[in-house]
Amino acid sequence: MRNLIKTTLLSAAIAAAPLALAGAAWAQDTLSLPNLSYRTGPFAATGIPLMNGQRDYMLMLNERDGGVNGVLLGYEECETGYNTEKGVECYEKTKATGIVTQPWSTGITLQVLPKSNVDKIPILAPGYGFSAMQDGKTFQWAYNPPASYWDGASMILQNISGGNLDSLKGKKIAFLHLDHPFGKEPIPLFQAMAEKHGFSFLPIPVGLSEMQNQSAQWLQIRREKPDFVVMWGWGAMNAGAITEAVKTKYPMNQFVGIWWSSLDGDLKLVGEEGKGYRSISWSFPNSQSPVMQDVKKYVVDAGKSMINKDAGEFEWVFYQRGILISAMLVEGIKAAQANFNTKVINAEQLRWGLENLKFDDASIKSLGLEGMIPPFSTSCANHTGHSGGWMLEWDGSKFVKASDLLQADRAAIDPLVTSEAAKYAAANAPWPVSTECKM
Amino acid sequence: MLYRIAGQYKTSYAADHALFPVRQDAYLLGFILVMAFVVFPMTASEFAFRALLIPVLIYSLAALGLNILTGYAGQLSLGTGAFMGVGAYACYKIVTIFPELNLVVAIALSGFFSAAVGVAFGLPSLRIKGFYLAIATLAAQFFLVWLFQKWSWLYNHSSSAAIQVPNIDMFGITVAGPTARAITQYYFVLCVVCAVTIFAINITRGRIGRIWKSVRDMDIAAELVGINLMKAKLTAFFVSSYIVGVAGALFVFLWRGAAEANLFEIPLSFRVLFIAIIGGLGSIMGNYLGAILIVALPVVLSTVPAALGVPIASATAEHLNIMIVGALIITFLILEPHGLAQLWATIREKFILWPFPH
Amino acid sequence: MNLLEGIFVKPFQDMFGAPDFLIQVLWEGLVSGTLYALIALGFVLIYKSSRIFNFAQGIMVVFAALTLVGLHERGLPAWVALPLTLVVMLILAVAIERVVLRPLVNQPDIILFMATIGITLFLIGFGEIVFGGENKAMITSQLGIPTGSLEFEPFGGFVSIEQRDLTTVVGAIVLVVALLVFLNRSKMGRAIRALGDDHQAALSVGISLSTIWVLVWFIAGIIALATGIAWGSRAGVSFALEVIAYKALPVLMLGGLESVTGAIVGGLMIGVAEKLFEIYWGQPLLGGNTETWFAYVVALMVLLFRPQGLFGEKIIERV
Repeated sequence: MRNLIKTTLLSAAIAAAPLALAGAAWAQDTLSLPNLSYRTGPFAATGIPLMNGQRDYMLMLNERDGGVNGVLLGYEECETGYNTEKGVECYEKTKATGIVTQPWSTGITLQVLPKSNVDKIPILAPGYGFSAMQDGKTFQWAYNPPASYWDGASMILQNISGGNLDSLKGKKIAFLHLDHPFGKEPIPLFQAMAEKHGFSFLPIPVGLSEMQNQSAQWLQIRREKPDFVVMWGWGAMNAGAITEAVKTKYPMNQFVGIWWSSLDGDLKLVGEEGKGYRSISWSFPNSQSPVMQDVKKYVVDAGKSMINKDAGEFEWVFYQRGILISAMLVEGIKAAQANFNTKVINAEQLRWGLENLKFDDASIKSLGLEGMIPPFSTSCANHTGHSGGWMLEWDGSKFVKASDLLQADRAAIDPLVTSEAAKYAAANAPWPVSTECKM
Repeated sequence: MLYRIAGQYKTSYAADHALFPVRQDAYLLGFILVMAFVVFPMTASEFAFRALLIPVLIYSLAALGLNILTGYAGQLSLGTGAFMGVGAYACYKIVTIFPELNLVVAIALSGFFSAAVGVAFGLPSLRIKGFYLAIATLAAQFFLVWLFQKWSWLYNHSSSAAIQVPNIDMFGITVAGPTARAITQYYFVLCVVCAVTIFAINITRGRIGRIWKSVRDMDIAAELVGINLMKAKLTAFFVSSYIVGVAGALFVFLWRGAAEANLFEIPLSFRVLFIAIIGGLGSIMGNYLGAILIVALPVVLSTVPAALGVPIASATAEHLNIMIVGALIITFLILEPHGLAQLWATIREKFILWPFPH
Repeated sequence: MNLLEGIFVKPFQDMFGAPDFLIQVLWEGLVSGTLYALIALGFVLIYKSSRIFNFAQGIMVVFAALTLVGLHERGLPAWVALPLTLVVMLILAVAIERVVLRPLVNQPDIILFMATIGITLFLIGFGEIVFGGENKAMITSQLGIPTGSLEFEPFGGFVSIEQRDLTTVVGAIVLVVALLVFLNRSKMGRAIRALGDDHQAALSVGISLSTIWVLVWFIAGIIALATGIAWGSRAGVSFALEVIAYKALPVLMLGGLESVTGAIVGGLMIGVAEKLFEIYWGQPLLGGNTETWFAYVVALMVLLFRPQGLFGEKIIERV
């Protein structure tokens, strides 16, 4: 029996694994584009609209154009529940056929990152992951366009200081963050900036089990009376923080979040009372843009989308950001197809494509994404591209643009990127550093 | 038929209590070992190694550690995840401070750290029993995970607050880190697991094991016959936490490659507890059976819809998966509360008597 | 020296320096304490009558709140959704008794405990399939719960008390009083207590085990619904709420597994103590987030001196 169970289970598993892949066997002209999604668990609220957006853009291209250059886009999800363990399992499961990894959590990114060099599969982590991934020579297989967390932190500081960081001197900035690799990511930059510009920086961690009950954190904020509260929140934490802020009567116009803290659904919980809350963002919803109209026509109205129409999810920042994320991936595919003159590209070719993303004004217009994303481009040395971003403001029912295009302070960030990348490479020696890239 | 015991006479007490009272048991074990050492490595795909074989072995080891405490010594613990974390972080510190050290030595040493922490948190067991003790071990669980997050020395002040396994060579072969091959890691884990299992079998069958069992069955009675309860309970915590710590070090170094503090949160503890209970408390073999059921089954289940060609969204599949695992746990508890090991024992009895019904 | 001052002097200076803030901290602690007490009460009721350590109480809170919101989302008005949710909780209680508990009668405690974790997993999967995983707003105003806040200005500062928190506290008091009256005065309630005292004696005088179990689980369901409404109106309803079950466990240790008084007093004590510690000691000295473990450590200390908790029944052991 002992061997019976073991052998049947294992042989079933071993038999099932290739079978599963065979069952989903892609026709010759389909690209397998896995997404390590999470529609379950405490972070599902923020995950779902993003995944819907990613999915719907690919479906739209398949419906409208029959894919890209005649190759269908095989969007497939592997559910992780934001759980690192499941994430790695998904990575192992999808790496045989997939030409890209979209890990969707800083924790999973950290696990997959060292493997990407060995398995030669590019990681696409738009707007998340490691900020140091910007250094393309060290992180040859990882991409975080169009802006990193450090970019976001720098842009937030610029905006709240009115463009002159020295005006923050003597002020106090509280940093309300998830106690998780994601939330800790910008701390080194904030600390460096605090030292340089003379403001005091107060990190306030929120534990995973405390996301929904942040009264202690907000009591601390009430006691410390910071001039600004910057939030690095995700999942259920955003809603918790915003409701507590309303309750504590913290002035909303001094409360600023990162781009993952701009979920319309969270703000709708407080509605009018959340008025004035701001969030930096590298994307902006534009439901009138040609792409969104096409998505509406081919996917949403055709009943193929999974979005929650009653909640108005179509208009949400997150849904349309998901569209943009897929657009970046598809542009990478197109660039690779053109360069290697082949339709069905492989993972290594896609890597080249992601390294040569060109989102200039003309291509943004021709893609039909006007006003949704600032221009940026990646290179072999710079995997982020630095689009900059806009400050969005909640007007009581939706997010509106509240600033011109902001740009991060490169002089402050780049040295930190170089040192962090070098540190990472040293800790993981022998770590291959690109010698081909001459930029 | 397969288990015919005719011709196997026992002429002494020792023979009757031998490890394999029936010769066929030894053959069976030999067969399983051949499968584990030769057949699986030759046939398994990389996915099978990383998602099935290696995790099953590591979880079995963690469950074995817990089983010594809960199944043999009768002290319910819900802090296994945190003790695994202690092993992992200790191993990380040892490896980064002494990079030349052999990984086997580092892992063996890291077990002592978790053993020490385990003993410290085991002290309340001298006064607290049952569910009160279980909740008390939760104190270890929450406090240690908090410490993993706050004490930045543990993760070498890395900005992401995560530990990352570097490439580690042993005798010229990379055994840990991103460039290690799955098959090497499998053999490494398999050897450690085998060694610890042999140790566990011996310790539980010997004097110490019997002391533990007497404490489990009724501690006051045990005390009356002259057993030092403090010593018995604390050795159980020590041995158990040592094995759990080794499992934790393997968990991060030979399987995951990186870890952040919340990896060791309470769901991990529950998972290990499930394995120990579904497998069978007070049984060594049960841990392996339990791990196969709890770790490998969901992985296999998640490939079923795709294999059958049923179009089902991955999120729904995951929800169904959670539901099925929950239902399975209840079903197994109802059908065989003493675990899979007991189930096997019943089946074996039947085999021995076959073809007679009783 | 600095450290000693940080531990023994500064916190008290802070407390008396800003009494309005202290009042706010105490109030926040009291509100979370009320909620911990409610969850602990659900645990205690079930443990008393059936010796089951019901880990699923946490997920029942989520499930009840989700059912309420989900039914409302499907177009039912709040006054229909609320009783309907109670019906769902009753069905759940019957199902748990039939499918899980009855076949497991007389098994060791740990097996029953594991079974409730199985129920937890099942309900997570089931709930997510039926209601989806996104964060939902609690239908606070539809249920007639006031949402504004009352403001006072004692000692020249300001204290703000949310009306819904006030409702929570008042609601919890009403619920607890009703429960105590039910347990002590009604026939059914006495039967529950009898079962808790001695199973076989209770059975021999004709108390039906299965009816009482369904009843107890149903009461735990009602408490779960009340808790779910209270927590949900603060931060929305989602599966992340499940973790609050862990906050109730140290309350049980402190108060004793069988004591209703213990659950209430323990809950309030822990709610207030952990908030005070976090604000005045945890955040300045330990980097914050001490609430995850503080309650456990306190409970552990208490247990070292009173192994049965503050209000638990004295454990008498015989060979």
